Amino acid sequence: MKRSKWAAAAALLGVVTLPGCTTVEPWERGNLAKPHMALDSNPIQTASREHINDSRQAMPSGSSAEGGGCGCN
Amino acid sequence: MAATRKRTKRRASRAQNSALKALSLAALALPGLMLNSAWAQEADGIDVQVTHFAEGERDILGVDYNSFADAIDLPQGFEPIEAETLFVRSRFNVGGRFRAFVNYTHDTWSGATAVATAYAAQGANAASAGRHAADGVTITGASPILGISANLIPMQFDRSLSNGYSLLTGAIDNRRTLVMSSASPETREQIDAKLRYAWNEAALDVGGGVSDERDYRSVFGNIGGRFDFNQRLTTLSWGVSYTESETHATLDPDGLPFFDIEHYTPGLGSTAVLPATSGYVESIFGPSDPFNPTSVILHGDRRDWGAQLGLTQVLNKDAVATFDIGYTRSTGYLSNPYKTVLGHTVQFLPGVELGEEILHNGSGGAFLEVRPPERNLVTAHLGLAYYVEPFDAALHIDYSYAHDDWDIDAHTLRAEWAQPLGENWLVTPSVRYYSQSAAGFYTTGIFQTVDENRDIVLAYPQYFSSDTRLSAFGTLSGGLTVSNEIFEGVSVEASFEYFTHRGDLSLGGGGEEDFADYDYWTLGAALKLTPEAIAGRAGHGGHQGHNGHTEHRSHHAGTPAGVMLDHALAEAGDYMVGYTHTRGTQGGDILSGARAIDLSAVRTTGCNGAPCAVTPEQMNMHMHMLHLMYAPTDWLTLAIMPQWMDMGMSMAPNPDFLFTNPEGHAGHSTSHVHETGGIGDTGFYALIKLVDEPRHQVTLALGGTAPTGDVDITLRKTGANPVDDVYMHYGMQTGSGTWDFIPTLSYEGGADTLSWGAQATATIRSGRNDSGYALGDVFQASAWGGYRWSNFLTTSVRGIYTTQGSIEGAFPASAQIDPGTGLPFIQEHIGPFDQSGSYGGQFWDLGLGVNLTIPGGAFAGNTLKFEWVQPLRDDVNAFQLQREGTLFLSWSTSY
Repeated sequence: MKRSKWAAAAALLGVVTLPGCTTVEPWERGNLAKPHMALDSNPIQTASREHINDSRQAMPSGSSAEGGGCGCN
Repeated sequence: MAATRKRTKRRASRAQNSALKALSLAALALPGLMLNSAWAQEADGIDVQVTHFAEGERDILGVDYNSFADAIDLPQGFEPIEAETLFVRSRFNVGGRFRAFVNYTHDTWSGATAVATAYAAQGANAASAGRHAADGVTITGASPILGISANLIPMQFDRSLSNGYSLLTGAIDNRRTLVMSSASPETREQIDAKLRYAWNEAALDVGGGVSDERDYRSVFGNIGGRFDFNQRLTTLSWGVSYTESETHATLDPDGLPFFDIEHYTPGLGSTAVLPATSGYVESIFGPSDPFNPTSVILHGDRRDWGAQLGLTQVLNKDAVATFDIGYTRSTGYLSNPYKTVLGHTVQFLPGVELGEEILHNGSGGAFLEVRPPERNLVTAHLGLAYYVEPFDAALHIDYSYAHDDWDIDAHTLRAEWAQPLGENWLVTPSVRYYSQSAAGFYTTGIFQTVDENRDIVLAYPQYFSSDTRLSAFGTLSGGLTVSNEIFEGVSVEASFEYFTHRGDLSLGGGGEEDFADYDYWTLGAALKLTPEAIAGRAGHGGHQGHNGHTEHRSHHAGTPAGVMLDHALAEAGDYMVGYTHTRGTQGGDILSGARAIDLSAVRTTGCNGAPCAVTPEQMNMHMHMLHLMYAPTDWLTLAIMPQWMDMGMSMAPNPDFLFTNPEGHAGHSTSHVHETGGIGDTGFYALIKLVDEPRHQVTLALGGTAPTGDVDITLRKTGANPVDDVYMHYGMQTGSGTWDFIPTLSYEGGADTLSWGAQATATIRSGRNDSGYALGDVFQASAWGGYRWSNFLTTSVRGIYTTQGSIEGAFPASAQIDPGTGLPFIQEHIGPFDQSGSYGGQFWDLGLGVNLTIPGGAFAGNTLKFEWVQPLRDDVNAFQLQREGTLFLSWSTSY
């Protein structure tokens, strides 16, 4: 039982990391390394935008609901 | 022979392999070639962003009581919500594998906000225009008072007859409107920090923070981390967080007679009292009236637990994707203390069905909203960054889904195109669509029905909110960001985004009616600094390479934090970036001249010889100032110094003050606070070296400030102040309103471990500002001495003398009609701080300073300075609150 759980977890991990098998060598990562390719390429603007959006809608923009104040207005 | 050749070949190929390996490892180590996924390490640096947020005008309906016309469109007599936000983000190495991230946020909000939703014909937004109707003058605006009729018919209205509250048939006006109330400006500060320990392929983060505003305080902590796999092609990240928040909201005194607080009042006999853990009210009574509270404070605590799990994957050499899920559980008081829901009790006589046009009685109340005391929220986010080779551009697409057990489903789709132009420009257009369904308990009004014996047939629902943020709607927005790297490591950025919020943009239809529709926009400006890149540009380790400048620097390292514009930069091409934070407080005694005076004397004569309705208790001023300096030539340095201000003042009422119209002032019989904030005046200076010797420098700074701050902040419209053109106190405006000439002459010298200096500076106003007054001119002289204990620590002592004139001119009187008297409104709710004579005086201070020069790391050579300025003697004009002291904190770096 325990074993099959581990096997399932390993299989899941395999599925999740499978795309990782497409190897991108370090010297091929020039495009990915460009600053405007970062997944969050402008963190301070993201913070500013999420702060505004979170005060105008019911659901959070980001995955974290920390800080931000009351937003009572 | 052949074997040798083979061996050599193999050796060569091995060498080639290991060289390749080393090269690739080196490439990995280069910051520019680091795998740039979600966790990619940003270079050490500081970003500052200022954002202005503004709502557009809303369609607000009201009723003209004088003419009993139909519900009418009210011209905006109130200001839509505006906010100014300052964000500071910093990240830096703190030794070894530790990195720190420190962020600061400061917001100021003001304007009118929706407090309820009503039928237009209920007249909750009363127009006071009737008095002006004859000459066609515009309506002055919405009353903040909720107009609830005792005999309300909630289903049908017809304003064509003289009494809108009687049963009417025929024309039915079922239009709804938001009920607006102007809110006082309010500020919030948040500081949060995170410490990261990084291994080669993993990291652990521990962080926390505090957010503080007048009516809400929250404290949070978090722990998280990441693991890299697969030669860093895959990253797994996780995090958990805990937040504890406390609401302590003073309800609008003008609304108290209309608010129904029974859900939050244990022991009031209501059937639906909430457990105290979900919020409760505290009523404070004045000495003269034990039945009607002078203020009601809503208390509530909430806790939020959050957990996130994320996976980032490089898909190929041009694409990286991320997927993360989150769960947040919130418990406690989750409602908004300033939102109410109009409730209607409807009596049905036998044989009558709901909705029939028949006689029935209605009555209403404005219930403080009640949200469920628990919320479970799940989020999922999928992000993709794709490199578009032909354009050297990056396409970012993000989709998020969120669902909670309040029955809200939300979808967000956002796309942006980051397009580099030339060497230094980046232009990023973006579009975003957000859609949500309504919370199960969202309502525009609640009903209970009773039978002929007034027994409840259908009770009010348990949970209800009219906050339109819980309604079904969609928001579509488009934005543009333009950034330019002006020097290596120094970028400036401007951004704009326009949003339109519409009920009918809700995915799948069924959105809220158009009464809740509005537009808003944001305008941002940012400055981003990465010291390592800047140092790389300087090439010779900054100033160290310049002959004799080390000596100059040691003098300046002894200059106290509160001294500015004291020296020009060393050489052509140098520049300096700095920041000064100032916190000043006044409190304790009220002074008349140099002496403390009895409060009763201020109350009877403090307002230009007449009695005052209020007296000041405490005044706080916070200022953030950015210093940007550049030397185009050896002898001249140019400086720009933008400022960000906020002020708060608490006041105590004068219990003996006799108002002309005492009815309207009941709400102000307790201590209360005024807050303002936002962009201040902007300084522009030229600093000229007059003497530049190793041991002595004399610098003349010529320039001044441009009136970018506000001098037209007005007081909130209330029952006591029924107009919207009464100005906030002079000392609470964020600017002078005038172009001010500020010449400054400084001398600095030093020998060995000693440094010394003196400075004379004046502020001369040009004419009067648009609000009809000019702050007094200022002259200040100071002298200081410093002792260097080691190469990183210097202490200083400073003596300061300041003299400032009183204010010339005054704010204009209100031009509006008091709806209570029909005469021009006269502001009686004033204190000494509303008198132009109660500003300025002579002041003597002692400053004690500690200056630190960072010895190593990416911030080596940066200076951090602290100075406490202790008042020794005040000799004030008229009546003013005693000064308690000023703290200066500054950071600067030069290249």
